[in-house]
Amino acid sequence: MNYLFHILIIICIYSILALSLNLLVGYTGLLSLCQAAFYGIGAYASVLLMTAAGLSFPLAVLLAMVTTAIISLAISVPSLRLKGDYFVLASLGFQMISFAVLRNWVTVTNGPYGISGIPRPSLLGFEIDGLGSYFIFSGVIALVCALLIYLLTASPFGRVLKAIREDEIATMALGKSTFRFKITAFAIAAAFAAVAGSLFAGYMRFIDPTSFTLTESTFVLTIIIVGGAGNVAGPLLGTVLLIAFPEALRFLPMPDAVAGNVRQIIYGALIVLMLRYRPRGLWGEYEFE
Amino acid sequence: MTILELDNVTKSFDGVCAVNDVSLGFESGKITCLIGPNGAGKTTLFNLITGFLRPQNGTIRYRGQDITNLSPWRIAAIGIGRLFQDVHIFRRLSAIDNVLTAFKDQAAENALLAVLTPWRTIKAERAVHEQGQALLAAVGLTGMGHTLAEDLSYGQQKLLSLARLLALNADVLLLDEPTAGVSPARVKELLDLIRQLATSGKTIVVIEHNMNVVFELADWVFFLDQGQVALFGNATDVLGDPDVRATYLGKQEW
Amino acid sequence: MVIAQILVNGIISGLAYALFALGFGLAYNTTRIFNFAHGAVYTLAAYSFYTSYVTCGWHILPAAVLSLGIAAAAGIAMDEIVYRPLIERNASLLIPLLSSLGLYTVIVNVIAAIYGNENKTLSPGLQPAYTFGPIILTRIQITIAVVFVFLFSTLLLLLKRTNLGKVIRAMRDDPELLSAMGVSQHRVRLIAFGIGSGFSAFAAILLGLDVGIDPNIGMAALLSGAVAVIIGGVGVFEGAALGALTLGILQSLITWRFSSRWTEAIAFVVLIVFLVFRPEGIAGQRRRVDEIAP
Repeated sequence: MNYLFHILIIICIYSILALSLNLLVGYTGLLSLCQAAFYGIGAYASVLLMTAAGLSFPLAVLLAMVTTAIISLAISVPSLRLKGDYFVLASLGFQMISFAVLRNWVTVTNGPYGISGIPRPSLLGFEIDGLGSYFIFSGVIALVCALLIYLLTASPFGRVLKAIREDEIATMALGKSTFRFKITAFAIAAAFAAVAGSLFAGYMRFIDPTSFTLTESTFVLTIIIVGGAGNVAGPLLGTVLLIAFPEALRFLPMPDAVAGNVRQIIYGALIVLMLRYRPRGLWGEYEFE
Repeated sequence: MTILELDNVTKSFDGVCAVNDVSLGFESGKITCLIGPNGAGKTTLFNLITGFLRPQNGTIRYRGQDITNLSPWRIAAIGIGRLFQDVHIFRRLSAIDNVLTAFKDQAAENALLAVLTPWRTIKAERAVHEQGQALLAAVGLTGMGHTLAEDLSYGQQKLLSLARLLALNADVLLLDEPTAGVSPARVKELLDLIRQLATSGKTIVVIEHNMNVVFELADWVFFLDQGQVALFGNATDVLGDPDVRATYLGKQEW
Repeated sequence: MVIAQILVNGIISGLAYALFALGFGLAYNTTRIFNFAHGAVYTLAAYSFYTSYVTCGWHILPAAVLSLGIAAAAGIAMDEIVYRPLIERNASLLIPLLSSLGLYTVIVNVIAAIYGNENKTLSPGLQPAYTFGPIILTRIQITIAVVFVFLFSTLLLLLKRTNLGKVIRAMRDDPELLSAMGVSQHRVRLIAFGIGSGFSAFAAILLGLDVGIDPNIGMAALLSGAVAVIIGGVGVFEGAALGALTLGILQSLITWRFSSRWTEAIAFVVLIVFLVFRPEGIAGQRRRVDEIAP
């Protein structure tokens, strides 16, 4: 039972990541490789705010969201005017820089040793301790995030994002500052990634930079490619599929290190195969093109 | 009144001069046509006016304000709208969504408001929806609101892009070959629509290759050749000019 | 003088990465695809060299030739099987880029699963070293410099003097011209990919002999390659070499002054700075969205 809760909690956390990346990739048409960087920055930020500043979980998460969104400007403002593949490179660069900072800024992040002993979040005096409770907690947060993201995408704001995805020139010719919209979408995606990071930190009670690597960014992208982009179902179902299915690998007899590699091989192969044969993903609305 | 002016505008690409010291003006309430052979610089002029290109020399003024170096979105926002030759519609959005994107002053285009005031947004959406449907009807696309733009015929997409432009409610409309690809039945309605827009005070500039359309619509005509204004006048004068006929009109529909 | 040694070390590692960057740049300029899998080819070459040279005890030359062959074959295979169908489908350039990321992940993880994640040395024991005044150079470092000069000049001659070179440059500037000339674009792509992968292999083997190999070297090379190409100017072949040299020196200085922990991050900061501030590229590459006239 505990195992099941564990999977469900992870699904909740990753669904927030997937939905946030979908806002960028599926709705705005921006391919970003640094979602894990914001995941990590958000995690570290909320942990530090709770431990060093003594803030409660909700407040820490809120501030972590704001912090991460502001940090996102450091990369989005310089590079969102660049064309597609140059922007991807810049996001890749940011991902690597963030990882290097998390790993080397030892005074703040404790470097490769990570931060342990993270307290479980407590709401109104109650500590959310058991796995079952944490699942409900993260489930509710994931639902709220999904709802907020849905509101955004169904609104005129979302409509402009889709227009930018379809034809940025025409969108500019309609008097919209596409640059501003893209920056906003990027910051929002970063903020939601920070929420996922905070949930992750509170669950694992330990974070270190190896959870926030390029591999992780690629994984979230794989969820979108496999599950589908441009709607809510794609990322959600993609998350369930890509989290639950590899768990089955656990029961195959192979050493742990190799299992990790096998998992990555499957993800990589999925990217290649889906883009070739089913660019819309399994349940998506937007075809990668 | 001259709303939009270009003064001594020059634009070159890699040594080739696409627009060569061009000065012209467009009047409100009038339809001005730009004609001339391919490569004469007409679309380049549109790109310069709308900010997608910067001239090497010269100024562009709208209502007295220097807009030469403004970014494209700002130029559109202050009132200069454009119909593209390659339609540039939002292919995977529905026809009605194409039009709705263009309406100005939609509060919920602000992400914060979109999330915090969903009820107000729904109301505003309903209002804007009605206007959008009306515009679709005006261009003859009634009932096609929910069709995906990519599923429309080329002519219908052309009309859709016009409906979208109308939603922008710009004062200046730059139309790049608006009748190309539109079925003959529709063309007459289209021309009526354009004339109405002019009468209501808008400044209309049309690039056209169809001389019948030019004759029908134009209050003024600029004949452009090799990046320069070779001739200016009313339709009868320009289209009747022997040089124009010799170098250009012989190859056009007339 | 320590600084001289630092600079020389930087230059040598820069030269090795320059080899990779030249190959990468050649493929990029010809196909316009940012190819992550080029890094995988690099890793593949390194490990096949390891297997033949170290594990099977082959002599260094046939081992190198084998790795070159495998690299070239892999590069071409990937283009044929993965990228071409995508291009034919009229996909944007982001799709092959994403696919290449997938390919990279697959290949590198297969290698890691087979060989493990630890660093492996290719030349056990101490390298013979030669002193030139204040500077010490190991034999492998000298080899890197020599091989680089040789390959660089060969490539330059090829591009500037031969018909093949003209054709490759035409592919970069004006692909339609090629069809008019009766040359198959397909052929040119294959050759570009082949040469590019070959250069990758050279770089992998040389650097591997110098510092050893692990499954992640591909990404490091790739990113240095990307930075080099962008610094040097997209579209300028020699620029890639210049860029890699600059990067090598810069990283060497950073390592000396601060610590090697930051070298990768610095490379990326440089990358971003150049992406953002470098004025329109050499070949007039428009990189900003609002500079495309509709």
